[in-house]
Amino acid sequence: MLSEKIQKALAPLNLEKVAAGDYSKTGYHLEAAAQPGQMPAVAQALLDTGCFLESLTAVDSSRESFTLVYHFANFYELCRTVVHAPLAKPAAAPTISHIYAGADWYEREVYDLYGIRFAGHPNLKRLLLPEDADFHPLLKDFGATQENV
Amino acid sequence: MFERGLEEKTFWLNLGPQHPSTHGVLRVLLEMDGEYIVTAEPVIGYGHRGHEHMAENRNYQQFLPNMGRVDYLHALAFNQGYCMAVEKLMGIKVPERAEYIRVITAEMNRLTSHFLWVGAYLMDLGAFTPFLYCFDDREHLLDLLDRITGSRLTYCFYRFGGVPVDLDEEFIAGTRAFIKRLRSRWPDYDNLVTKNIIFIKRTKDVGVITKEQCVQYGLTGPMVRGSGIAYDIRKSEPYSAYPEFDFEIPIGDNGDVYDRYIVRIREMEQSLRIMEQALNKLPEGPIMAEKVPKRLKPAAGEVYQAVETARGEFGCYIVSQGDIKPYRIKLRVPSFANLSILPEASVDNLVADVVAILGSIDVVVPEVDR
Repeated sequence: MLSEKIQKALAPLNLEKVAAGDYSKTGYHLEAAAQPGQMPAVAQALLDTGCFLESLTAVDSSRESFTLVYHFANFYELCRTVVHAPLAKPAAAPTISHIYAGADWYEREVYDLYGIRFAGHPNLKRLLLPEDADFHPLLKDFGATQENV
Repeated sequence: MFERGLEEKTFWLNLGPQHPSTHGVLRVLLEMDGEYIVTAEPVIGYGHRGHEHMAENRNYQQFLPNMGRVDYLHALAFNQGYCMAVEKLMGIKVPERAEYIRVITAEMNRLTSHFLWVGAYLMDLGAFTPFLYCFDDREHLLDLLDRITGSRLTYCFYRFGGVPVDLDEEFIAGTRAFIKRLRSRWPDYDNLVTKNIIFIKRTKDVGVITKEQCVQYGLTGPMVRGSGIAYDIRKSEPYSAYPEFDFEIPIGDNGDVYDRYIVRIREMEQSLRIMEQALNKLPEGPIMAEKVPKRLKPAAGEVYQAVETARGEFGCYIVSQGDIKPYRIKLRVPSFANLSILPEASVDNLVADVVAILGSIDVVVPEVDR
């Protein structure tokens, strides 16, 4: 079973949480929580088990912190792993673009929309917004809300 | 001029943002040595409308029409992905007949998307006639879909808990007739395109993508299936009524542009099979779940729902904080990841082959940009 293999691969990293998820409710087979600093090691462990990076995004969870959300899946066996990594504001997280080439664009997108910097990223610049934009639109305190549009 | 190393310096060439082969406002910045690519950088975002930001500022129902406008070529799959994510979050169970109607219409929409791709792609390669064949066939499907959904392109047909309109006899008869018609047309497509020596020379061994690259970039859809990985959400992570049908996942073995073409053509035959079986087995019963609240207020939590669109995996990630508005919606779109491999796939190719590779990715630019 792939989920057991992943759990085994993640065990030496001493993550905050690695547990089976409620697939019928959330769509996750495995839920993990990690510090952003542990993410390169986590990504490497998942790459070694043959998983691919399905999505990488962030949530502006509160005034004090973001949550980075990484989804991994596998081409041959159904097993979706989610890794949540809380990140205190303002801070930078280490990149995983040297492990997963696809993370390059995902991290640029997160930087673009949230202003989160990824240390070690080779080309961290705007992706979707114009290069001279001076805002990060998915921050909760960004102005355009229903009231003032 | 065409050879490498004749000039001391490389030069820059802009492909797009206004170029017929980029299918929308995509710009690719090419660094050229003669006619060979040194580096290629896609510049995206021209069609960024901020769907994810819009999601946070409206309630669940109000965001539904946006789904038809992310990937306008396979809008119903996006409808389905979002509806299923919200249904999962709310614990709504969709009646069986509604699931069948969703499958039939989504497969029809997949066919229209592939038809447009085949036509437009071959036009990129210089063949004009197939485009007319494809649009002829596609038009029949658009008329049928128009009949029950009310629109031809940006569908907003599914609702949380089912579908609003039932299939009528004329739609069913028309769809059956279409299935028969298209099956009689395959030999034409075969003779016109698949066995065409010019087409084969342009596409064989061009833009080969390996299985390792598929994992590295998180590619999905015909991109991975062309490289020999049988990954299709409809089989790998079965949803809706798909487990009840008998169909195959076509795969290629070489991972080149030609294989991705063949995969899509064979996939269209499978869509016909699914539609036919669904029409034969169409169960009676309601088309909407009972007691779907008018005001959707899911409990706090998060959900990830994946569906297979014509281009690959669409993942809808919703974070709810127990409010009537979603706290965060991330649309994991297939073209975004699929396009990110273009720089690697096009290096050392001729500029004409880059057009062939870019086309074989089947990007829908508004979907990349969101």
